[in-house]
Amino acid sequence: MAEIFANLGKYSQLLLDGTMETLYMVSASLLIAVVFGIPLGVLTTITRKGHILSNNTLNKALDGIINIGRSIPFIILMVAIIPLTRAIVGTSIGTTAAIVPLAVAAIPFVARVVDNALLEIDPGIIEAARSMGATPLQIILKVLLPEALPGLILGITLTAINLIGYSAMAGAIGGGGLGDIAVRYGYQRFRVEVMVQTVVILILLVQLIQWAGNKIAGYFDHR
Amino acid sequence: MIEIKGLVKNYSTGQGLLHAVNGVDLKVREGEIFGIIGPSGAGKSTLIRTLNLLETPDAGSIKINGKEISTLRGKELRDFRRKIGMIFQHFNLLSSRTVRDNIAFPLEIAGIPVQEREKRVDRLMELVGLSAHADHYPSELSGGQKQRVGIARALANEPALLLSDEATSSLDPESTEATLELLRKIRDELNLTIVLITHEMDVIKKVCDRVAVLENGKIIEEGEVIDIFVNPRQELTRRFIKTVIDYSLPEGLEDMVIKGDLVRVTFKGESTHQPLMSLLVKKFQIDANILYGRIDDIQGIPFGTLILELRPNGGSIDKALDFLREKGLAIEVLKNG
Repeated sequence: MAEIFANLGKYSQLLLDGTMETLYMVSASLLIAVVFGIPLGVLTTITRKGHILSNNTLNKALDGIINIGRSIPFIILMVAIIPLTRAIVGTSIGTTAAIVPLAVAAIPFVARVVDNALLEIDPGIIEAARSMGATPLQIILKVLLPEALPGLILGITLTAINLIGYSAMAGAIGGGGLGDIAVRYGYQRFRVEVMVQTVVILILLVQLIQWAGNKIAGYFDHR
Repeated sequence: MIEIKGLVKNYSTGQGLLHAVNGVDLKVREGEIFGIIGPSGAGKSTLIRTLNLLETPDAGSIKINGKEISTLRGKELRDFRRKIGMIFQHFNLLSSRTVRDNIAFPLEIAGIPVQEREKRVDRLMELVGLSAHADHYPSELSGGQKQRVGIARALANEPALLLSDEATSSLDPESTEATLELLRKIRDELNLTIVLITHEMDVIKKVCDRVAVLENGKIIEEGEVIDIFVNPRQELTRRFIKTVIDYSLPEGLEDMVIKGDLVRVTFKGESTHQPLMSLLVKKFQIDANILYGRIDDIQGIPFGTLILELRPNGGSIDKALDFLREKGLAIEVLKNG
């Protein structure tokens, strides 16, 4: 026990680097997931039966893609798309390379979160916009997304926290970050104090992200 | 203003085809407040939604100011909709926008420049009395205030026609009264035509010029509101009127006391001032016993209902009733003694 405390400061640089790597992986992949996931989610919602651009075939296809994407275990996805990762980043090892599978895993997740948030909107509001002669694009930009904003923010918060978990897995196969440190030092070299410290940092990160997400969502919530 | 001919709208349900609107012909005149009343499921919501093509009719024609609208699509349809205002039972305001921005919403959609937009929004907030609440969100408003935002929003693009879909049905009596008053005021000031649907006869009585009664997708009765009140022809219409003017006698009274004919006499305007009762007695030798009496006012026109028990005292009841009918009174024999 005494040894654990004595070594507490010893790995601070290592842990700081690991934290920065984790944040880099999570924020970069989250950004990509949001950029692709929101349009995918919006398209899924508006092609539903009775919605503004109802199209059953397209809707079923998108719904299927999202479900398939979400059902592949991350660890398998990570390995399976190594060729894609190589094609984009040039290598399949390292922090930047880990962003590719993380983003690919998070896109369908964000899409589903967006779809769910948009379905919460009262159809009467959409009907009102139609009665005013709004175009589908105007309905998306001025009605659907702003009305669903609190739900979207909470959903993106959820995605960010999931990505922290996934990034630890990516770390295990050479992606870097806190997960990597926990495995290499804590697990393989029996440095319990390092493992404990990484876990504490991860807990704090998750708490902080959830707290911030709730605050921001609350700020935009006028329902 | 509006001319509907042979309008049909069907829905396919699990049990087969549902004729929501089943051959409706209707004319709405410019500047009037036209009410459509019916029980739930009668098709009134579908009917009003066809007027701005939120529902596409399966057959029939809808002409607004002489122009066939039921075939409009795409941009033409959107441009047409911008010229029709609509208000809703549940207001359908954007929860993410303040009062000001909700009213500005249809102006944004129509691409009105910012400066013009702000001017119009200020004017509209004043018109509906919400200037003090400009920066409030809908969740901070009462139902009546929300509906006023809805009305201001519907008027933003200066429509010639306003559609009201049960706009007062989720309001308390006081807000209902205020909302109806506002509707009449904007009709007078802005020279608007208003088509409203409701299931409350009170709304028809207070604000409508003409009314159509809808049952099972068909119009069963139509006319000036006062005439419908005086002389309803259909059972459903009578039931609706009874919700506002309940002239039913206490149960058991009929069997216990009443020996003569029971007659409901309804009269309006001029005829309220004639001494008809004494005429009945003197000229026709009829004893008239007043069991119920009430004078209402339908938008300024006095309107009375009497339930009389008539007993011949040497004269003929039929002759007496014919005389009253000639005088322009509506007679309904409730029971023959």
